[in-house]
Amino acid sequence: MNEKLQKIKQEVIDNLNKIRDMNVLRDFETKIMGRKGELTEILRGISAMSDEDKKNIGRLANDVKMELSAKFEELKDVLGKTKSDAIIDVTLPGEKLPQGHLHPITIIQNDLEDFFTSLGFVIADGPELESDYYNFEALNIPPHHPARDMQDTFYIDSKNKEGEYDMVMRTHTSNVQVRAMQKFGAPLKCIMPGKCYRSEATDVRHEHTFYQIEGLMIGEDINMSHLKGVLEATAKHLYGPDTKVRLRPKFYPFVEPGVNGEVTCFLCKGAGCRLCKNTGWLEVFGAGMTHPNVLRAGGIDPEKYQGFAFGFGLNRLVMGSYGIEDIRLFNSGDLRFLTQF
Amino acid sequence: MNLSLNWLKDYVNIHKKTTAEEIGKMLSLRTVEVEKITNEGDKFNGVIVGKILEVAKHPNADRLQLAKVNIGDRVLDIVCGAPNIAPGQLVPVAMVGAILPNGMEIKEAEVRGVKSSGMLCAADEIGLGTDHSGIMILGKKAKVGKPFAEYLDLDDIVLEVDNKSLSNRPDLWGHYGMAREISAIFNLKLKPLNEMIVGKLEDIAKAERGPVWLDLKVKVENQELCPRYMAVAMTGVKIADSPEWMKKRLSAAGMRPINNIVDITNYIMLELGQPMHAFDASLVKNSKNEHRIIVRQAKKGEVMETLDKEKRNLDPEMLLIANEEKALAIAGVMGGANSEINPTTDTIIIESANFNPTSIRKTSGKLSLRTESSVRYEKSLDPNLCETALLRAVDLVKAICPGAKTASEYSDISNFVTKTGPLEIEAAWLAKKIGNKLPAREIVKILNNLGFATEHIGHKFIVNIPTWRATKDVSIAEDIVEEITRIYGYENLETTMPKVEMEEPEKNEERILERKIKDILTGTPALCEVYNYSFVGDDQLKKLNIDSAGYVRLVNPIASHQTMLRQSLVPNLLGNIRANQARYDSFGLFEIGSIFMSAPGDINKNSQKTELLPYQEKHLGIILAGNNDKEIFARAKGVVEHLFASLKLPAYFKEKDMKPVWSDGRMVAKIMSGATELGMVVKLDSQLAKRQGLKKEAVMAEIGLKNLLVLYKTARKESYEALEKYPSATRDLAFVVDAKILYNDIKDAIAGSNPSVKDIELFDVYEGDKLGSGKKSLAFHITYQADRTLTNEEVETFQKDLMKKLEEKFEAKLRDF
Repeated sequence: MNEKLQKIKQEVIDNLNKIRDMNVLRDFETKIMGRKGELTEILRGISAMSDEDKKNIGRLANDVKMELSAKFEELKDVLGKTKSDAIIDVTLPGEKLPQGHLHPITIIQNDLEDFFTSLGFVIADGPELESDYYNFEALNIPPHHPARDMQDTFYIDSKNKEGEYDMVMRTHTSNVQVRAMQKFGAPLKCIMPGKCYRSEATDVRHEHTFYQIEGLMIGEDINMSHLKGVLEATAKHLYGPDTKVRLRPKFYPFVEPGVNGEVTCFLCKGAGCRLCKNTGWLEVFGAGMTHPNVLRAGGIDPEKYQGFAFGFGLNRLVMGSYGIEDIRLFNSGDLRFLTQF
Repeated sequence: MNLSLNWLKDYVNIHKKTTAEEIGKMLSLRTVEVEKITNEGDKFNGVIVGKILEVAKHPNADRLQLAKVNIGDRVLDIVCGAPNIAPGQLVPVAMVGAILPNGMEIKEAEVRGVKSSGMLCAADEIGLGTDHSGIMILGKKAKVGKPFAEYLDLDDIVLEVDNKSLSNRPDLWGHYGMAREISAIFNLKLKPLNEMIVGKLEDIAKAERGPVWLDLKVKVENQELCPRYMAVAMTGVKIADSPEWMKKRLSAAGMRPINNIVDITNYIMLELGQPMHAFDASLVKNSKNEHRIIVRQAKKGEVMETLDKEKRNLDPEMLLIANEEKALAIAGVMGGANSEINPTTDTIIIESANFNPTSIRKTSGKLSLRTESSVRYEKSLDPNLCETALLRAVDLVKAICPGAKTASEYSDISNFVTKTGPLEIEAAWLAKKIGNKLPAREIVKILNNLGFATEHIGHKFIVNIPTWRATKDVSIAEDIVEEITRIYGYENLETTMPKVEMEEPEKNEERILERKIKDILTGTPALCEVYNYSFVGDDQLKKLNIDSAGYVRLVNPIASHQTMLRQSLVPNLLGNIRANQARYDSFGLFEIGSIFMSAPGDINKNSQKTELLPYQEKHLGIILAGNNDKEIFARAKGVVEHLFASLKLPAYFKEKDMKPVWSDGRMVAKIMSGATELGMVVKLDSQLAKRQGLKKEAVMAEIGLKNLLVLYKTARKESYEALEKYPSATRDLAFVVDAKILYNDIKDAIAGSNPSVKDIELFDVYEGDKLGSGKKSLAFHITYQADRTLTNEEVETFQKDLMKKLEEKFEAKLRDF
């Protein structure tokens, strides 16, 4: 039995030295080591032996088996490496994993929320179906004020005791200003993002449903130069470190002074192009120092506190950044659009 | 509003080197938005002076003529319909390619078989009046081949101002007010009004009386709606065209010249911002030959015809100018056709009045009639302006109609106060608002230039508000801050970041949850986020069998399919399937958005908190579209499970008793977490799907964020469990039960069978012929684990006991194959 084992071991080693091909090697391995292989047959014979032989021969047989297996594996490694006929195209695409997409306005809103949160601002919410009071009156826009012309309003079909429609779809996120003041008091730093509505016909440039972010900062000495500072920081965050902000007078009833904030056109860097209508500036913000009447409506003493508010449209921001020309795409639910973000 | 640069220069001496572009830019930075700057002459690009050489009859049309016209470098053949042309005349010729002020584009044309290379223009066609009786015949100074603009002396530049940026500034609706701004911006002297208007009110009566003298009387019934009414009659006017200089000014400002009297009223409006009206006195006269003007509210059902020949239905909220017998004008909005200036007019009554802005605004809104006059009155005009304007009108009528004389005493019924201050403003307060300390001299100069008489006394500024800013625009010290800073220049203020004390951050937990959900769903489930409108329509709901009775409706919807506020995200998500089904085989979308109920919610309507707004809440809606309904139903439940697992919340499904009317009745599951129902997963009925044009099967899940947030805050399990010390043993168990028996019950039975059951995983569900009808086979991996190493024998016993229990409880049969 011992000899048999030694013999087969030598034969195998001799043969292995000659083999240069993986397939030949595999066949040879099966012939020796397989379930019906020569070595296996020998090993199977051991079970019929006496206990003593079993112990001695068994150990030897096992050693031979281990040794040969190792030789086979060794040669497999060598042959495997030198094998050159199977070409692997590494440029093939990888396994396709399904991908989800956030809406582009969500992306920019999250980004701005994170920016303002890092400055210590709170994110405040308010209702989209709003009372005339919070959307207009509390913001220093009494009934029949010409400023109501600036915003075509969707009214809710429900009248109050005086027989007036007193609820609207909010026309701006400014409706949250007074709510936030009442909730948090002064000092206050908050932003208010959300969906807004104006009753105007939709076309490539106009949408009756759109998104804004509003900001409000109230303190004992929050002044106009701080308003400029925060707007400039925001503009730089959005458009890069070289961006400048230019303020122009603009009337909003809830601020005094009221301004319009323009930023350096990010496309032409202020040189003038089609996007900025050759002015070098893009209109981005509405802003101003909070009107004392608004502070009063929010329960904040205007003798003690002052501050600023600003707001901007997210749709326009996204349109500018991506060169989107049709505002209606945002509410289209069209996957060809949405899967690009 | 259009501003004529030449007109502005009447009042302020603008430096010759200052370009229109610079003025436009500075106005935009300091006052109002200038949208466009155009050279007046550009209106007539392509229109040149031509000389008619020959006129012949058109061969195919009796009324048309053929003209040969010399335009300098060549001769054009032009077909013309006007009868007044003759050889030798000089005429304006619009060449091919010209775009006329009325928008007409001149093209090479064939008129009844004859080629026509251009057009001879009538005055109205080129915006120079209303005359359409014939071609405009030019005077001798016209030079053949030269631009028509040159003949007209069009050297003006027009600055177009965005009217919206003027909505708070009643003083800027005339050139004089704008000139005042320019004087402040460039620090130039403004020509005082009294240099232009020589007369005083008292002089009117003293002046030479005309041959006609009217006993003009004015009665104002409601002084709140009409704070001031001034009127005077003038006679000996002769209605004719206005002088060229006036026509040019009006045209530059975008107003059509009509006749001298009407033009004078318009001129003053564009100069001072005060709307004026002129009546033909003979048509104001009542049957007793008296001239009585009554300012009164309209009667119910009253009708009058306005200047534009429209019949207007009036109501008592509208203010009228009338005599005892008839309405003459809608106050501040438009004159009546019955008292209009006409070619035979020789005596006029000039009105210079002030009306309540809200009343004018309501009236013009109700009548859908916004006029140059009403837009100005809406802005709260200064009642003092009536006087200036009336004097100006008398002056201009006398200047333009040389024989004209005063024909009545002037009337002045007034009841108003102007709150002109003074405001006392501390210098330190100003610096605190602005964040910069501006030089006191600069502040005083800016305010005085703007007409705010200002003194700097000690540490205070004493500021008087001019009447033209005192009606609404400026009343508090903050308004003065704006005046100072805008003229000083916002770009000249320092920019600083605020210094603030740190505070404990206030977390917005709903926003945090919302963002987390969005991140989860766009991750492994690979859904795409959509934004939908908050509106739904009757037809849309009807197609889903939804009763729209309790829906909140809009008063003024924009379209018939967007009349109500949604109560669920489902209807619009279904629309998203329609938008994409042609291009995608299967897809999944989600939206987080508000829903609205008519019942009151928990948000207060006003500061007094006496009333509540309708209930509104954010929902999460998920929709999956595909071809195999069972697969997408299972997938939708998988998405929900993944969401809850990611939020560290438990979730399972239960049968739902109250099924939505649009569901298919079978695939409807409640989403449960603990004992809380959070939403549902529903397959849309296939018939209903077809009814709305869906070519896919659709499964929706909808979850209210309010309950989810409560759960997220209270039930989230974010703890660590020590790794097990002893090995676990997993065994498979497959058995057949009646198809009606629910997974939840079986799972509970397995879990309760033995305290060592650690984990139960269903890995196969099979229904098929092999099992017989009404049967299903379920296969589980069951993992046992205890505080010691379980032996093989123990686990075998657990399995046997479990199977026995399942047999007893559910008549389950071990599946042996």
